[in-house]
Amino acid sequence: MRAFKLLCLSAVLACVPAISIAQTRSIYSNLANPAIGMNALFSGTAARNLDQPYGLQFDEAEISLISVVDPYWTFTSNIVFASDGVDPEEVWARSTNIPSIQLKVGKLRGTFGKHGLLHTHAFPFIQAPIIMGNTIGEEGFKDAGLEAAWLTPLPWYSELTAGMYQAMEVSDENPLDFGSMRHDNVPFLVHFKNLLDLNDETTLDLGQSYLQGRGSDGGIHSAAGADVTVRNVPLRNSNSRGWILQGEYIQKGATTGGSYRKEQNGWYGSFQYRLSQLWWTGIRVEQARDSFTDFLVDGAGDPIAGRINRGSVNVAWVPSEFSFVRLEYSHAVAKAAGLEPDDDRILLEMSYTIGFHPAHAY
Amino acid sequence: MKSLIRSLSVLGLCLLWAAPAFADLNVATSLTDLASVAQLVGGGHVKAQSLCRGYEDPHFVPAKPSLMKAIQHADVYVSSGLELDIGWLPLVLPGSRNPKIQPGTKGFVDASEGVNVLEKPRGTVNRAEGDVHPLGNPHYYGDPKALEVVADHLARVFSDLDPANAADYAANAKAFDAKMDASLAKWEAMLAPYKGTAIVPYHKNFIYFADRFGLKLFGTVEPKPGIPPSPRQINDLVESMKKAGVKVVVYQPYYNAEACRQVAKRAGGVAVEVPLEVGGLPHTDDVFSKFDVMVSSIADALAGTTGGK
Repeated sequence: MRAFKLLCLSAVLACVPAISIAQTRSIYSNLANPAIGMNALFSGTAARNLDQPYGLQFDEAEISLISVVDPYWTFTSNIVFASDGVDPEEVWARSTNIPSIQLKVGKLRGTFGKHGLLHTHAFPFIQAPIIMGNTIGEEGFKDAGLEAAWLTPLPWYSELTAGMYQAMEVSDENPLDFGSMRHDNVPFLVHFKNLLDLNDETTLDLGQSYLQGRGSDGGIHSAAGADVTVRNVPLRNSNSRGWILQGEYIQKGATTGGSYRKEQNGWYGSFQYRLSQLWWTGIRVEQARDSFTDFLVDGAGDPIAGRINRGSVNVAWVPSEFSFVRLEYSHAVAKAAGLEPDDDRILLEMSYTIGFHPAHAY
Repeated sequence: MKSLIRSLSVLGLCLLWAAPAFADLNVATSLTDLASVAQLVGGGHVKAQSLCRGYEDPHFVPAKPSLMKAIQHADVYVSSGLELDIGWLPLVLPGSRNPKIQPGTKGFVDASEGVNVLEKPRGTVNRAEGDVHPLGNPHYYGDPKALEVVADHLARVFSDLDPANAADYAANAKAFDAKMDASLAKWEAMLAPYKGTAIVPYHKNFIYFADRFGLKLFGTVEPKPGIPPSPRQINDLVESMKKAGVKVVVYQPYYNAEACRQVAKRAGGVAVEVPLEVGGLPHTDDVFSKFDVMVSSIADALAGTTGGK
């Protein structure tokens, strides 16, 4: 038995150099690994109209992987883990070799409007504008496809984007009906953005968007939007002062039997002000018409469409670029089918980011 | 029809206006100092511009689409390197849709290559230490000798991209180095009486300057990089400055001047606004005049508080 133990020990000792070599001379390299980042969002909501317990809940964790593919492409992915499952929110490749044109291929966040381009943790208010969830989706239009964005030769930043996407049925995340099975159903998008420097510190950003596809009823379904943003970032205090004034209008509609019918439509206007390096505050007013929201329901508890007006104010504490805590209050009044319910809610949101996370689009 | 012709004429004029300016090489940079060096090395063959202004915090440049537009036709992009511009360059470079200046191409330059990098973190880096730069302190442009390394590097890049003017680039870089050496001797003489004297910068961006001119650094006004000081941290700093006899606080135009003045006043010293970047203050139009102002401002402040000069 003793001889057997010695034999085993000798065998283990003999293997040590081999293990050591295996650990230090791997045939695999991690030098070209992507930049990795993760953001997690937690929130709590207190609202008398919502049938849910108060308390803190996990909203989502987003893992981002970004890297160069080869001399011609870079790759970006954002995979979102939430309590209801995993969503490959964005997985796309971007060309780097075509002068003045940026080509994106994959699962995209379609270039529609202004708010629709934002990741959840970059929303200026905890709640997305009500009109978003009723037109292109609370988190924007996300679909597999291809987009080309041309930076025109005009002297200011003028970008024309065209995109085509996969046919897609209506779902909780996608209110647009692009579900026709016809071969000619290729939803497409056109976006025109112009940004002018009014001076060194203030910019004017104007955007127009149009998205169209064929619905499961055979008709043409579309969304159109216009946005305007005036933004100020004082150069000497770019990390402690500034403001953003923004407005956006979105309209969804369908053309059946040769006539266009306007469906959900609405707008929001918001003003965000940076008080210091650590504090932001904001106010937003909005209106959504012929739209649905969680507290506008009939006697049976089923959602009904109506006009909703909502005002929100918030304050955010941002101790670093990688975390924030935000407190928000909103008051809303709806009107539909003889009902006029109102809603008050207080929300708290916390965001934490680790790893590599590039700045959000301006 | 007339209105159509008028519209087309306006569009044509706009396109002409948008045509890239004529120069052998259009160079864009992350910092004004790099643009200044590029211009001096490139001479008449180069048109250099910086995306970040001298009075703007280079860590927090807003990634405005107009910056992307500004480099749409650049031949060379000179990044500061060492991740100083990592917060905004990853948006601006791809947004320019200019294949000539993307990382990995001849037109993309990391200006920190060859520079003797200070304060490289040892061991694990984490953000509990604030906004640390994992590759080392990126504010090397506070050292005149580091800019000589940049000048020689840029001369090689320009020569590679524009061989017809290679001799001019080499000669300009040589002249730059010679002028910098001569100026350095003058600046060293101005600060020689204060060798070993401690100063307090707002941010950890003075190590290269202090190292070159024999000054000591006594902490920073911000407790950690990117984290604003609390009243208690200001108190602690003031007390430790009093005990050590440190009298001079230096800060840049984009930092919290009020906090610096408060610290200096309570410590019985002075706070002095110093340009670390070209264009940060008046009369700092190139790297030489920037160092003239930097050195004279600090020498005057030290003279006033130490009784020297």
